Amino acid sequence: MYNKKLKWKSDFEKSVIIENFLNRGWIKSQEKEDDSTDWNVYWATVWNVRNIFNPKNGFRLNDQQIINHFPNHYELTRKDYMVKNLKRFKREQDKETYEQQGWNFDFLPTTYIFPGEYSLFVEEFHKCPNQTWIVKPAARSQGQGIFLLRKIQQLKKISGTTVTSNMTQLNLVSKENYVVSKYIDNPLLIGGKKFDLRMYVLVTNYKPLKVWIYNKGFGRFCNEQYTTDVAEIENMFVHLTNVAIQQYSDKYSKKHGGKYSIDALKFYVESAYGTEAFQKMIDDIHNIILTSLKSVQAVIQNDKHCFEMYGYDILLDNNLKPWLIEINASPSLTTTTPVDKNLKLNLINDVYNIVLPNDDFSDNQQKQQQINKIGGFSVLYDESLDLMNRKTQKRQSVKIWK
Amino acid sequence: MQQLDNQEILMKLKSSKQFWDIKKKIKQGFSDQQKIGVNDIQKFAQSCEIEDQLIKLISHILKKSKKRETLKEDQIEFLNTSKIKWTELLFKNLDIVHQKTKNQEEDDTNTDSKLYIYDEKNLLAFLQTFKQQQSNNLYQNVQFQSNKILNINIPLKSSQSILDKYQYLLLQEELSDEKINKIRKQIENEHLDIELEKIAQTFVPNGERCLLYLKYFEFDHQDTVLQQHFVKLQKECLNQLFYDELLEIDGHEISEDTFYFVFQEQILTCLKCFIRDRTIKENIRIQLQSGIKKEHAEFQLPITGFFPFKNISKYVAPLCYLSTKIHIIYALFKEFFCRYFCFLHAISSESNSILSLCMQIEEIVSTRSPKLFHHLKVIGCDTLKLIIHQLVYCFIGDMDPPHILTIYDQIIGHDSLEILVILCVGFLNKYKSKLLLAKNQENVQQIFSELREDRFQELVQYAYKQ
Repeated sequence: MYNKKLKWKSDFEKSVIIENFLNRGWIKSQEKEDDSTDWNVYWATVWNVRNIFNPKNGFRLNDQQIINHFPNHYELTRKDYMVKNLKRFKREQDKETYEQQGWNFDFLPTTYIFPGEYSLFVEEFHKCPNQTWIVKPAARSQGQGIFLLRKIQQLKKISGTTVTSNMTQLNLVSKENYVVSKYIDNPLLIGGKKFDLRMYVLVTNYKPLKVWIYNKGFGRFCNEQYTTDVAEIENMFVHLTNVAIQQYSDKYSKKHGGKYSIDALKFYVESAYGTEAFQKMIDDIHNIILTSLKSVQAVIQNDKHCFEMYGYDILLDNNLKPWLIEINASPSLTTTTPVDKNLKLNLINDVYNIVLPNDDFSDNQQKQQQINKIGGFSVLYDESLDLMNRKTQKRQSVKIWK
Repeated sequence: MQQLDNQEILMKLKSSKQFWDIKKKIKQGFSDQQKIGVNDIQKFAQSCEIEDQLIKLISHILKKSKKRETLKEDQIEFLNTSKIKWTELLFKNLDIVHQKTKNQEEDDTNTDSKLYIYDEKNLLAFLQTFKQQQSNNLYQNVQFQSNKILNINIPLKSSQSILDKYQYLLLQEELSDEKINKIRKQIENEHLDIELEKIAQTFVPNGERCLLYLKYFEFDHQDTVLQQHFVKLQKECLNQLFYDELLEIDGHEISEDTFYFVFQEQILTCLKCFIRDRTIKENIRIQLQSGIKKEHAEFQLPITGFFPFKNISKYVAPLCYLSTKIHIIYALFKEFFCRYFCFLHAISSESNSILSLCMQIEEIVSTRSPKLFHHLKVIGCDTLKLIIHQLVYCFIGDMDPPHILTIYDQIIGHDSLEILVILCVGFLNKYKSKLLLAKNQENVQQIFSELREDRFQELVQYAYKQ
């Protein structure tokens, strides 16, 4: 099956990437420079992708090259841009039309972007005196810089100076933006602990939009029992599900890494809440994925050399309603357990089976149009199909989870 | 013995689908007639066997209403004396465990993890010590072979009858959405246990499993009662018992399991309540320990009448998937243990007992896979030693939760643990080719230490392969 000695390059020394390349018989590109161009397949950092697509560099990808990010992926994956694009998309839609098509926007907690929307935030803050807010740097990852806020004065952490409630603007110490959202303080708990979902979504084209969803993923659990006790508001082991944070807890287990398979979670929800509730939850998650991707469809620079595998972070509340937390352009490929390694190895393998079937660069869009499932990926949405076929596809997509 | 009056019998009849089918049939039989007498109905009922069906239904209701007495004495005397010896042994183990915990408190570097009263290997080793008994006239049909490790003269069902009983599982196909919806409605409307058993034998939709179990155990309108009982037990947990420490240690293995770690605290809470629950002694179907009170002993048996054992946490774990309410999880665990899992720890000749199940497995494997049976013996790795863990703990930890709960469905479906015999035989057959190449125990351990995925239907298929 794999009969072409393609050249690969990777900015990540991750076994799940490299093992996949080697298993396919591909050869590592010998050029050592960051800006080397002698490759067919490149698993790149977002910064290198930006450089590659920078017109000033005068570099153009050839027909035998494929890369793992779209040039301006940040429209979706920076927290502030994601919020901005979703709000814009919502305004642009005719309410009746989008509800008829099954879109809904009720999955983003009320969010403000700092510093620009500070005054709007203050207004809302005063309307909801018992509300907890979560403050996140717009462009960082792994839980860095995140804190929970109940008093305006806590914003001193990011402004560097005293903040009072009658201020109309906020000056930030660093140049980075922040997003401040209503904290979902009623998360679904299992065993008394908070968790979020990490799900993998592959986009092979934005125009027309083609979306694949992976049938494996996991819940990332906190190590401490959840509580809304104000005394524990700064206890990140209670509130933040990032593995990068939880791995420092005394209760962290290397055996499971706090990761609970999505198969187990779906079984739990179906058994404990019933089949209807489970189906609705899955439909709502699919809605989140499709609406968020549609919201950036017009702005993303589509390019036939590009594909992107996103890590969607979704939080379920205690009504089984899913909320979008963020979308990661470079979901972690570090493996913490043997099960994790197996998942990510197969994930990358399936990605390349889709984007480069049989290592063939010829136009495969036509050939793949009728293929709805490859490995653990199933087509969630294919805009190139007519409307009737898209509806059938949507109904079938629930079966991904059976 | 609880006697039902006519009104209560009628109420129970009315909760059965079969009753309404019978009524419909009678109505249809007299649709044209205006005057119908009791004799007419009786004649009609006799003519189309409805009377027999009704008699069977009422008999079943009366039988089920009788409270089952806890089995204390076995029909075979030597098993009664063996139970006493087993209890004595466990008391000795308890003393050793207590001493170890004291040593650990004094010396933090001493981390002896064998802090349990007994495990499945200890139980099997004890069963192996039984001497061959003189055959009794009653049991002349029992044949035993000297190459088996359990040479016990107890009445056994024929292994062929067990294989025949579960053969229908080979024909099970994936059901259409329409059929699944029909089953869902059946579960919602049905209350009679024999009907629920029939459903459990065939297919239980994930979303309706908890309801089926609650109805089967007659808990479906008991939420408040169950909750009150559980809350009362939780309050009693404030008084620490020595056994609590053993349960906490037992929970470590579950806390490392990728499917159950999230339920660790719930499992421990359930078990702490369990060992304080006075109602268990009267509800459990078989007495596990002989109930000897040790004079001047620091510890007595828990109020349940038996010692907690290694991996007791495993029995609770799969049930955590069924409900968000801990008192429901507890009620289901208690019922499953008192009705079924207790037999896996009982020195008894009952058909569900660990002894009978082990002997059935040995019988099937030695006759249907004699090469494997002999090979394992030669390399010092007896058949039973290989599968005792899976048997005693119902494959929990070996199969994913959906498959485990399918096992639980079958247990309810047949009111029996015999499905475990089928699955153990299937398990051995699945790994037969690798086991035949194994030269020693280390090789065998290597086979089972590799990442593997055992599934219910797959093991059933393998059980019937020669």
